[in-house]
Amino acid sequence: MDIGVELATMQMMNGNEAVARGAFEAGVKIASGFPGTPSTEVMDYTHLKHPEIYCEWSTNEKVALEVAIGASFAGYRSMAIMKTVGLHVAADALGGAAGSQINGGLVLVVGDDVGRIAGDDYNDCRHYGNMFNIPVLEPSDSQEAKDLMIKAFEISEEYSTPVIFKITSVICKTSSGVKIDPDYTYEEKYRNKYPISFSKVIMTTIMTKAKGSEHPKLTKCFNDFPAHMNRLAEDSNDFEINRLELNDKKIGIITAGTPYYYVKEVLPEASVLKLGLVTPLPAKQIKQLAEHVDKLYVIEDGHDIMEKNIKDLGISVIGKELWPKFPEMMRFTPDVIEEKLVPDAPKRTPQEGVPFRLPVSCAGCSHLFISRVLKKHKIKAAADVTCGLIGCFPHMESYSLQKCMGSSIALAHGYNVAKNNTENFVAMIGDGGFWATGVNGLMNLIFNNSQSTVIIVDNSCLAMTGGQNVASSEFGFNYKPENKLDIAKVCEAIGVKDVVTVDAYESENLEASILKAVNSKTNSVVIVKKPCVTKFKLPKEKQYYIDQDACTKCRKCVGVGCLAIESKGNNGSTEIVINEDICTGCGLCSTACQFEAIKN
Amino acid sequence: MQDSGKNIIIAGVGGQGILLFSNLLSKFYLKRGYHLKISDVIGLGQRGGGVESHFRYSAKPVLSPFIKAGDVDYVISFEQTETLRHLHALKEDGVLLTSTYELTSTSVNARLQKDLPECKTEIIKRSENTKFIIEPNAHKNLDFDINKMMNVVMLGYYAELRNYPHDEMIQIVRENVPAKFVEGNIKAYEMGSQIAREELVAEECVAIRC
Repeated sequence: MDIGVELATMQMMNGNEAVARGAFEAGVKIASGFPGTPSTEVMDYTHLKHPEIYCEWSTNEKVALEVAIGASFAGYRSMAIMKTVGLHVAADALGGAAGSQINGGLVLVVGDDVGRIAGDDYNDCRHYGNMFNIPVLEPSDSQEAKDLMIKAFEISEEYSTPVIFKITSVICKTSSGVKIDPDYTYEEKYRNKYPISFSKVIMTTIMTKAKGSEHPKLTKCFNDFPAHMNRLAEDSNDFEINRLELNDKKIGIITAGTPYYYVKEVLPEASVLKLGLVTPLPAKQIKQLAEHVDKLYVIEDGHDIMEKNIKDLGISVIGKELWPKFPEMMRFTPDVIEEKLVPDAPKRTPQEGVPFRLPVSCAGCSHLFISRVLKKHKIKAAADVTCGLIGCFPHMESYSLQKCMGSSIALAHGYNVAKNNTENFVAMIGDGGFWATGVNGLMNLIFNNSQSTVIIVDNSCLAMTGGQNVASSEFGFNYKPENKLDIAKVCEAIGVKDVVTVDAYESENLEASILKAVNSKTNSVVIVKKPCVTKFKLPKEKQYYIDQDACTKCRKCVGVGCLAIESKGNNGSTEIVINEDICTGCGLCSTACQFEAIKN
Repeated sequence: MQDSGKNIIIAGVGGQGILLFSNLLSKFYLKRGYHLKISDVIGLGQRGGGVESHFRYSAKPVLSPFIKAGDVDYVISFEQTETLRHLHALKEDGVLLTSTYELTSTSVNARLQKDLPECKTEIIKRSENTKFIIEPNAHKNLDFDINKMMNVVMLGYYAELRNYPHDEMIQIVRENVPAKFVEGNIKAYEMGSQIAREELVAEECVAIRC
């Protein structure tokens, strides 16, 4: 087979890279965001491949979106990048932008973790489309991810609205060919249509139309956003990105995203409405399909949002009654569709009893050292998210409370206040969580007279998402040494009475510092420093092994939670061994062994 | 070329270089003008989680990024618990390439779950599919760390099995791994193709200790 002409301009890209390319071709000037699987790489690729675009990791998602909104008002196309959990943080900013006047196109790239591949709590960013009355676009492969990004900016400007660009863990992590014009030259897009842009609060207060005044100072503030959206809904019936494929009359399927391709593979004859714009819906196209087929199904990953919106149009459609959502099903696959719609297809049964894999900290992680101290002294503590949350899983049981990013400081404060400060319930938080929103919790803790102890794990990056820079990192897109924030100085400036910094690997010092802080009757911060072992590839100084003659199989070392410590063997003859390839030589396990069986 | 395309699942645990394997293989098929879709499923946690890559190359555009169970032509696995997780997805005439390397699941280490009662290699050997099993310990050497480079060993093995030109494949390895690892990787590749040659001659798998 020869390389075809078409394939010569094809490049393999995953969805994240294709979104970045789309932003580039759309003439985006500003990209701001906060790391979050699966969409972190959108920023990484934008920065790596398209230096024309200004990139920043902001301190959190709300800040990131506000940066993009400001840049959009300045007249330049801007995108904010985050995962759906991050959009919850940024929701207030999005509510402010929704319905307001848009100059440069404003697109919010949001990663939905369908199937909870990377561990989200089963969110769906399309809800924000319904709530804020703003459009949501969703691509089905990398080519579309690139093309739809350009369309997203056009829609944003034409209909004066922020646009949510939904990508999923499947889109983000799937590579396929994208047609690229190698001679494409970047052109920064600028549009300055409105002298003001206010949140809906201003116009709903003035209510120009209701009050009947045509004074230009009043009408200037009025942005008829419902009319824009109604026009978009009407126009979307003719959008090429919404494609009606009328075939077989028995089965009709409304779908979007990667499920479109599952449908095409399993049911090649079916009639399909493939949506690129998933909110608002093209009512005419849906009615046309409904009239063409005997049975109409909706196949959508995430929540039953299109299903409800279609039913609101007065059209009956089969969705979650056939494919119940969580916990019965995590996401669509070709198999899931085939099982229900192609009953005679042969079934495959997986091998029974294959053990699953719980998420686990990297060997040598500073979180393991902290977990060990907390468990040894039965210190009750709240975890945050990111790598520290692994301490909540059943093989660790280091923490009893865990919620969202940046929450642990305020959670501990609330607990301690409720218990009249009779217990010192400790907050553990990573540097990422601290800067994201945790610092607010710390300020609150001080001015509300808390006695809580906070452990801040400074591993010099946002480790869980692959090591992006945070405010206290010594690297990053816009890093300047003089602008690096210092965790200890900020804690002191906020008014924390007792701030100490310890090295995670100095086990005795770490233990003493945490105990001292916990037992003191004042607020305190223990900063535990150790660069992330995975990001910074710390050199291995020692190789530990277990002397099987000395080992009593008490399993204390297993309780450390290190990936390198394994149970080996079947039929009861288990040995505990250290996996040489994984061991980083940190020595934590040897401190857990009372029988000196762990040696180096 | 007669081959109209294949569906491959590449499996293992984090840190075994599954994504590098699929990246190298993609370069080979792209040069031959195939359409590709490669979907990587990576679990939570930086290390030790299960990783699977659904790799599809085809003369026609590829539709679904996920391969249906029963449609898989090759399972290439670097860890045998993961092999068992995917074995059922093979076609009847599908082929298995697997390492006997095993990383005990965290849930088993913590006694939250029982492991399979018998040696996984024995279960794998009972499969009716054609299978090629590599025991890394039998090929330990001073030139490279086989546990870290099983991905490229397996690439050499797969290329020999498919009768692909090694020069071309080695060139792809050379161009796509960091300079300081090139020599080790090429040795790993050559070892993989050598093991495959010997086995294909013998037409049976090596006896595996359990």
